[in-house]
Amino acid sequence: MGGHLRVLIRIALRNLFASKLNVIIGGIILTGTLLVVVGGALLDSMDQSMSRSIIGSVAGNIQIYSAKSKDPLALFGQMGSEPDLSPIEDFSKVKTALESIPNVKTVVPMGINGALITSGNTVDVALEKMRDLVRQKQQRAANPELEGRYQSQKEYIRQILRVLQSDLKKRELLVTEKSIDPENVAALQRGSSEAFWDGFDRDPLNSLEFLENKIAPQASDADLVYLRYLGTDLDDFQKSFDRIRIVDGQRVPAGHRGFLFSKYFYENVLKLKAARRLDKIKKTVVDQGKLIATSAVKGGQPSEAEQLLKQNQAQTKEIILQLDKIKTQQAVQRLQRELGSSETDLDALLKRFFGMDDANFKHRYSFFYQQLAPLLELYRIRVGDVLTIKAFTRTGYVQSVNVPIYGTFQFQGMEDAALAGSLNLMDLVSFRDLFGYLSADKIEEVDKLKKLAGAEAIDRSRAEDELFGTARKVVAEATPGLIDEDKEPAGNLRALRREELLRRVYSKDEMDNGVLLNGAVILKDPTKLRQTIKEIESVSQREKLNLKAVSWQTAAGLIGQFVSLAKLALYIAVFIIFIVALVIINNAMMMATLQRVHEIGTMRAIGAQRSFVLGLVLTEIIVLGLVFGGTGAAIGTGIVKWLGRVGIAAPNDWFYFFFSGPRLHPWLTAANLIAAFVIVLLVSAISTLYPAFLATRVAPVRAMQAEE
Amino acid sequence: MPSIVSIIDVVKEYKLGSVVVPALRGVSLEVHQGDFLSIAGPSGSGKTTLLNLIGCVDTATSGTVLVDGNDTRHLSDRKLTNLRLNTLGFIFQSFNLVSVLSVFQNVEFPLLLQRTLTKSERRDRVMSLLDQVGLASHVDHRPNELSGGQRQRVAVARALVTQPKIVLADEPTANLDSVTGNNIIDLMKELNEKNGTTFIFSTHDAKVMSHANAVIRLADGQIVEQLTPANVQLKSVAEVR
Repeated sequence: MGGHLRVLIRIALRNLFASKLNVIIGGIILTGTLLVVVGGALLDSMDQSMSRSIIGSVAGNIQIYSAKSKDPLALFGQMGSEPDLSPIEDFSKVKTALESIPNVKTVVPMGINGALITSGNTVDVALEKMRDLVRQKQQRAANPELEGRYQSQKEYIRQILRVLQSDLKKRELLVTEKSIDPENVAALQRGSSEAFWDGFDRDPLNSLEFLENKIAPQASDADLVYLRYLGTDLDDFQKSFDRIRIVDGQRVPAGHRGFLFSKYFYENVLKLKAARRLDKIKKTVVDQGKLIATSAVKGGQPSEAEQLLKQNQAQTKEIILQLDKIKTQQAVQRLQRELGSSETDLDALLKRFFGMDDANFKHRYSFFYQQLAPLLELYRIRVGDVLTIKAFTRTGYVQSVNVPIYGTFQFQGMEDAALAGSLNLMDLVSFRDLFGYLSADKIEEVDKLKKLAGAEAIDRSRAEDELFGTARKVVAEATPGLIDEDKEPAGNLRALRREELLRRVYSKDEMDNGVLLNGAVILKDPTKLRQTIKEIESVSQREKLNLKAVSWQTAAGLIGQFVSLAKLALYIAVFIIFIVALVIINNAMMMATLQRVHEIGTMRAIGAQRSFVLGLVLTEIIVLGLVFGGTGAAIGTGIVKWLGRVGIAAPNDWFYFFFSGPRLHPWLTAANLIAAFVIVLLVSAISTLYPAFLATRVAPVRAMQAEE
Repeated sequence: MPSIVSIIDVVKEYKLGSVVVPALRGVSLEVHQGDFLSIAGPSGSGKTTLLNLIGCVDTATSGTVLVDGNDTRHLSDRKLTNLRLNTLGFIFQSFNLVSVLSVFQNVEFPLLLQRTLTKSERRDRVMSLLDQVGLASHVDHRPNELSGGQRQRVAVARALVTQPKIVLADEPTANLDSVTGNNIIDLMKELNEKNGTTFIFSTHDAKVMSHANAVIRLADGQIVEQLTPANVQLKSVAEVR
């Protein structure tokens, strides 16, 4: 056989470039291999990067949730809403049971929910501050510093009213009178009148109430913001997901209630809009090197940057409303200097300032942050504030919780990933409160209230007797008339309680004992994922935990399937390409065989068996496949290596998540190369079967016939 | 001398669409070992058909073809191929060398198919034959680097490398000038006399025929004249005159 194979290979190698057809076939094989190697490597790298994103941010290796749940778990939401999960009643039991599995490192309790929060509008914030000053003035002795702040705040509110009024005038020009509520017009008029402000000092609280009720709603800059939060044992979470990094503020101390904003959410939702737009432009212009003005190039279609600048010019109110008299003066002075203008109107100055172009953008961007930002509240909610979150509980009533904001965090490598960035972190106790399940605190509180009210549980069968019978003594009598506030346990007590709740430290047991929706299982050896899922299921069955365990990929919902879908698309594309290649190679090999009928006939006449001819054709295609496939694989490897060095920039925030960072640095695995080779050789061999069969049918007598 | 090829009442017909074209119409012939047989006749007389049947590259419509004692009609393709490989040697009109192989590799090719000799044995065999045909200095040349005569000499070496009992040559000199053609015939004759190899060749060149020690003449698929070695000489002398 050695002799045969050697002569076959020798002929195949010699024939490699002898025929144009072979070069065509080789070209197809080369392109195909290149595609499989590069495409496969890209998708595999993306798959791995994304799994790192998902596993490292919230999912862990395996997620568990109640098997009674109506919907499957979807960590990143499903079509904008949260899946309906049944709660796991006793987390500590689950934790103990699962941590008995050798491959389980730890189980982090979790629950994801969302709530709408209002980020206070500028007027509300200003009025709240005013109310505070009024209260201070009433409680404390006269003090020039306080008086100064009081007067300045008053002036600031009057300025807001002036802005609102000029806004209304502009609106009157645009829309019909009917669409403007006359009550609003009247309220504004009253609020800006001298008479109103003359009387303000006499009855500040009532005046403020008028402003809060009638004026504040007219400043339409308050947004309802949808806040997704992950309730978890923050301490455990930070230990288990080591990619988390605190950006502003600090970690939530162990056992405390607390909230951490995702930096992405903080920057993209809560930041002053004008600043957000400037950041966005900076990203495209400075970081990606695009031009602001592309209108000329793109034929009239304004670029995204231009649109953002236009929005900034149109919505200066957001900035103006924030500035009191002194700050307005400062802003005007700084802008005059920057723009070399003598204009005194802040609105006009801002409009000019935001008319940026490629030449001045960088300078004005840093001017904005150095000179204007210090005068403004850049974020609507600040680190250190107490955030009030109202959410609908599972039973449908509204529950409200106050949590202090300790800071912002981000997942390393995913700073700009929109998907991971939409999730904020909350302590487990607050989460449970919002979720509406009774926490130990709540149970205690309810018990206290019951005792205070003398409430008692009564058996249903005895209810009538208890209510109307004579056996019972009267517990309390209804007292008609005024409610004595001092005797009411609510009021101050409630406020005190709130303070106490915020400061309270919860023990690990309290954290663990209680309800949650899902849990992240962190594995010691992530490669044994399937096996561990099976183990979890059997433990769950044995202990009657009624758990469902899913891989991080399944838990991520549609997002988790993204790369699989992309892979499928690639393989379908490759499949189609190879079907086409199959047909082309088949045809080319047929032509090549026909061209060689004389030669094959001669070999047959001389004494070559049919099997030799079959071997001849197959060896040729395999050598062709190896040589051109090898070249394709080598070029592909080179491309992947090169891409691995320079990286592929994420085109948008979504890809940031898939790439697990700003750039994807793809790498090649042996599996990519092997897959490419197997596919290529298989396709080559299959496409050559028929021509090879035809070749074996060439009659030896063809050798005798003259060559055409 | 024993006969190495026996052809008994052979008929060969070709089908061209619905028309049946007879190529041989009842031919009988005995070829003896060591013969230097020339098959003569005009184009279309059936020379090539007869050679194809003897060469086991084609089978008869009826009649018997015995090659070295084997009835070719009852052999499988595999056995026919082995017969061609081990018993027969071929020299073609258009040389039919494998263009991508060197002179040495072309000659070695049948030995590789046989798989009986070691590498050094093959080398010795090939080199001695190339020496005999005078191409020992051209071993590494490719066929397209050789002249027509040189190519045909490579083909002769290839035909003889397996030491076949019979060498078939179909118009071996048709594509060569007369001097070169004569040289090839001289070479064949020399090998015939030295090794006792039977040569059967077709030609319509009278000069070539004159080297033969037996001649059969075909016309319209039938043997019209059969000259034994004895009277070939007389006949050719007469023809030359």
